[in-house]
Amino acid sequence: MHAIHKIIARHANRASVEVGEIVNAVPDYVMLNDRGAARAADLLRQMGGDRVLDPSRVIVVFDHHYPPIRPQDSVAQKQTREWIKEQGITRFHAGEGIGHVIFPEKGYSFPGALIFGTDSHTVTNSALGCVATGMGHSDIASYLAIGYNWLKVPEVIRFDLHGRFKRGVFAKDVALRIAQLFGEDAAPYLGVEFAGPLVDEMAMAERLVLCNMVIDFGAKTGYVQPDAITARWMTDRAPDRSWTAERTDSEKDYARIVNLNVSEIEPLVAVPHDLSDVRNAADLYDVRIDEAIFGTCTGGRIDDFRVAAAIMRGKKLAPHTRMMVNPGSRETYLQAMREGLIDIMVEAGATIGVPGCGPCSGCHQGMLAPAENAITNASRNFKGRFGSPEANAYVASSATVAASAIAGRIVSPARASND
Amino acid sequence: MYIKGRAWTFGRNVNTDLIFPKVWFRPTYGPGEMASHLMAGIDEDFPRKVAPGDIIVGGQNFGCGSSREEAAAAMKEAGVGAVVAPSFGRLFTRNAINVGLPIVTSPRIDEHIVQGDEIEIDLANGRIRNLRSGYEARLPPMAPESLRLIEDGGIANYTRRVLAERRAAAARG
Repeated sequence: MHAIHKIIARHANRASVEVGEIVNAVPDYVMLNDRGAARAADLLRQMGGDRVLDPSRVIVVFDHHYPPIRPQDSVAQKQTREWIKEQGITRFHAGEGIGHVIFPEKGYSFPGALIFGTDSHTVTNSALGCVATGMGHSDIASYLAIGYNWLKVPEVIRFDLHGRFKRGVFAKDVALRIAQLFGEDAAPYLGVEFAGPLVDEMAMAERLVLCNMVIDFGAKTGYVQPDAITARWMTDRAPDRSWTAERTDSEKDYARIVNLNVSEIEPLVAVPHDLSDVRNAADLYDVRIDEAIFGTCTGGRIDDFRVAAAIMRGKKLAPHTRMMVNPGSRETYLQAMREGLIDIMVEAGATIGVPGCGPCSGCHQGMLAPAENAITNASRNFKGRFGSPEANAYVASSATVAASAIAGRIVSPARASND
Repeated sequence: MYIKGRAWTFGRNVNTDLIFPKVWFRPTYGPGEMASHLMAGIDEDFPRKVAPGDIIVGGQNFGCGSSREEAAAAMKEAGVGAVVAPSFGRLFTRNAINVGLPIVTSPRIDEHIVQGDEIEIDLANGRIRNLRSGYEARLPPMAPESLRLIEDGGIANYTRRVLAERRAAAARG
């Protein structure tokens, strides 16, 4: 069995599972975001459930619409706060950042765990060597009532990353390269493991970016085999948490193994409105940037701020360009302040918003007008994602976004990060 | 389960942001409210055109992207008979099954159906047929658990049943 299969089997109270089989599995933690909590509470009532079976496994995070934007959000959040109290849910984070950034930070996701969430980017957590997947609101409401969810056991493919990054290239560019080579449906319903010499040395932040992006290849979960880097992360973040890493039995447990040499990859950009329509950043100099959108569960970690600040230090945004920055978490925000990174970005002319999803929630500060162009280190360039359906979103790495914000056009960060 | 209806065709990689744009998200929905925004990111008039029993035909990777259940729930509410594509986004598949919307995967099916075609689907016997062109294909078998969920009318009914069974067991002591 693959480690992913062993994790599913253990949580389904089974000795083994087979690919394609549907089992009922009990997750370690379930994340409800603001929207998910409001909808799931409503659906739970409609399903005739009067209480949450196991509130100790439920974690509520307000990240999409916090602080409330519209009166309807204020009302929903007030009701959710009351519901949380009523149900005895004690883990509640409002304004502390994005669920998928907070979970790894607080040790809610850990090697060998099974994590569900009311958001597609729940897969991010799988970088810790766990199975983490998004679900719909009815799914989660059903879980709240009866304590398990159906789960189809996925096939697993593995990407082995070899070579060395060129200057200005990051894990995000690898994810865009995969989309370019294999399409937005590179891994439909599959588990996607990242391995190989490059991943062995990769910091957890970069692993989280790779696993965050698997949903946009259609995958059910990502996976990185826990190692010394994972163990150090857990010791730093959640020393009291006990965890067990699973191991894959053999190469036969993979439906496919893809070797990818990263040495040839240039800084890349997905152009509107298709994540698999990927070009070299250096070839997009003609694209004028109205807004840089920086943060999200893909690019809102401290490592992203360090990369961006190094590029922006002592510089100003292009006169026609604005920049919206939302730290992925309160912890990231504080650390970026301590290191002076926020100063650098604000002095350059950026606007700092609350820790949370920011404009990627589709209605928070920083929306685009028709015909405007944005470059973002988020994961999606979907039509209408950041406001007007007539706007254009370009998806790139944190470095490319920072360099392009300064240039006011899309540029490769390869030279910008040289100083 | 037998479904017959008129086809509405859509392209490849149609994400759920297009099927149900965020601007229409609400904490709770009144009757018909979700259906009234179905496909708003592509064609705002679609809810007025689609009729109960109609079949939505997508291209590859239909329903990719965000986990929003409204994408599938709005189709169910609009009375869509089934959604058909060569492949689907995982979350959309899951949500369709959970809301009791028949979801049918068939390779290259988008090349064999044009807008307005009359389509016939026999889920129990695994068959899809275009009544205009005569094109016919076998469907891969659906997991029995998933078929049962669809036939039960979705996960809400399933959950109600499990809760009722547990309450009955508890009452018996």
